[in-house]
Amino acid sequence: MIILRYVKLPSENFEEFFNSLKRWGTVYAPVKQGNIYAFKRVDTLGEVSLNYTRTMLPPKKFFVRPKDTLLKLKNGRWEEIREVKKIVLFGVHSCDIHGLQILDKVYLNDPVDPYYKARRENTIIIGISCMPDEYCFCKSLGTHFAMHGFDLFLHELPDGWLVRVGSVKGHEIAWVNESLFEDVTEEDLKHFKEFEEKRSASFKKHLNKEGLADMLDLAFDSPVWKRYERICLGCGNCNMVCPTCRCYEVCDYWINAYEAVRVRRYDSCFMETHGLVAGGHNFRPTRLDRFRHRYYCKSYFDPSAGFNCVGCGRCDEFCPAKIEHVKVLDEVREALK
Amino acid sequence: MLKLGVFELTDCGGCALNILFLYDKLFDLLKFYEIKEFHMASSFKEHDHLDVAIVTGTVSSQRDLEVLKHARNYSNYLIALGTCATHGSVQGAVEGKIRDKLEKVYGTRANPMRALDSKPVVEYVAVDFALPGCPYDKMELYQLLIDLAKGIEPVKKDYPVCIECKLNEYECVLVKKGVPCLGPITLGGCNAVCIRSGLGCIGCRGPLPKEANPTSEFEILKELGYDEEYIRKKFKTFARGELRW
Ligand code: SF4
Ligand code: SF4
Ligand code: SF4
Ligand code: SF4
Repeated sequence: MIILRYVKLPSENFEEFFNSLKRWGTVYAPVKQGNIYAFKRVDTLGEVSLNYTRTMLPPKKFFVRPKDTLLKLKNGRWEEIREVKKIVLFGVHSCDIHGLQILDKVYLNDPVDPYYKARRENTIIIGISCMPDEYCFCKSLGTHFAMHGFDLFLHELPDGWLVRVGSVKGHEIAWVNESLFEDVTEEDLKHFKEFEEKRSASFKKHLNKEGLADMLDLAFDSPVWKRYERICLGCGNCNMVCPTCRCYEVCDYWINAYEAVRVRRYDSCFMETHGLVAGGHNFRPTRLDRFRHRYYCKSYFDPSAGFNCVGCGRCDEFCPAKIEHVKVLDEVREALK
Repeated sequence: MLKLGVFELTDCGGCALNILFLYDKLFDLLKFYEIKEFHMASSFKEHDHLDVAIVTGTVSSQRDLEVLKHARNYSNYLIALGTCATHGSVQGAVEGKIRDKLEKVYGTRANPMRALDSKPVVEYVAVDFALPGCPYDKMELYQLLIDLAKGIEPVKKDYPVCIECKLNEYECVLVKKGVPCLGPITLGGCNAVCIRSGLGCIGCRGPLPKEANPTSEFEILKELGYDEEYIRKKFKTFARGELRW
């Protein structure tokens, strides 16, 4: 357990601090690309969108890549491809830090995913505070604040950043950059609290978590699912952008007549063959089954271990049919009354 | 060595040519296949049994039908290649009866070239694999042919264009720019090339089999302000009347 330490990074030292991060690894940060944000390699602070809402693909992409070549078939034998680079993820929001912790439970528990583990161990995570937009509902799920899962966390102050140190690596970074930091004053703490209060009051979307699992237990045959089956395109965009979706597909591709690569890529439970098993049985044969399934996966399977949703709002923002996660669950609840 | 034949029905020629565009990769295929017929590659022709036949184009004339029947009868494994062969593509989208069309264009109902209403290969014969795309992704054909040569059951794609669009982290042009994109209802496999260029998917790979939800796509596009006739035409371009709502 790391004892949290608070330091202050004054605005005038911010750029120098940012540049110092390069010595710990290649720096990736949210960058605006057209009308979306994406974690990209950055060289200067000027490229970073500090006030971004959310990236389309979550930081998951650095640990479980959208498309990832795992093995290569050479001379009749499979060779492992596992290069790991040191990286710094700068500007990760609290919900996404929680998202990574949900992934940790899956990929770091037995059987450990060696690719995920190596990348996780070689990544420094620097969190950043944010203001919610119309899609965010992390507060309802308690994922709006990260107590761990980061090395440093920057909270915006009027004249700089309040920095929470969250790991041994974080302490090391703070120590090496000692001259850039100041002690936190009473006034800084006051500003920090004010920011958090303002933020807390800015949430427009709220999920009623109360008895959600029991509610879903009773609602398996709810007419609401049937109504949404007609609207949902089954396009899988909601899965592809979700920081907690964990499904992947593994495919082999020939690169020449005798050599091949084994690639894994994100999969989506909205695809017809996702529930197809040997013998031709499909345990989620219809779009209705698949639409409903995502809600059960996010809020039901093991509520004692926490929900598999961090309220980041990506599924809403990127659904072409404008289906809203919270609204669906509210309607399902309503229909039970 | 496996015996391969490539047969062309009525089409623009692009799908057959696209095989040659594999360039040096073509030599990988030649390690497993002997070409017995492929008029774009060679004048050599041997009318005999084939292990794999590739057919491109629509059946648009009596001659096409005979070529197709020959390809089917003489082959173990038949691949319908390209959207003409799998869905009918643009010529298949033209409505009306052949005699009426002849009259409209030539002023006479006579049909000396024995033209037929354009239909995809899959409507006339059973095919072992349907690989759509206008044109198809040539690497997909490459994978398919090597799989077959090695005795591996090829995997059919089950996902829409959106999946590959997201895997490539392209900005969604439908959600973010209101561009009419048919990605959610179109079979993937093209690696979302059109979206890469900022264009909407026009559905050239045909509808996602069994799974497409054209009704919802129609409503989404209408909501964006596109008129019904425009959307109807867009849905029909490559897929004839397959996308109903
Ligand atoms: S289900 Fe939606 S809101 Fe929840 S974590 Fe996934 S993308 Fe975010
Ligand atoms: S089953 Fe669906 S919702 Fe659950 S992790 Fe997999 S893709 Fe995501
Ligand atoms: S993004 Fe929307 S339309 Fe697409 S599968 Fe998810 S809920 Fe359905
Ligand atoms: S741009 Fe088109 S293909 Fe890409 S995610 Fe959006 S709707 Fe799907």
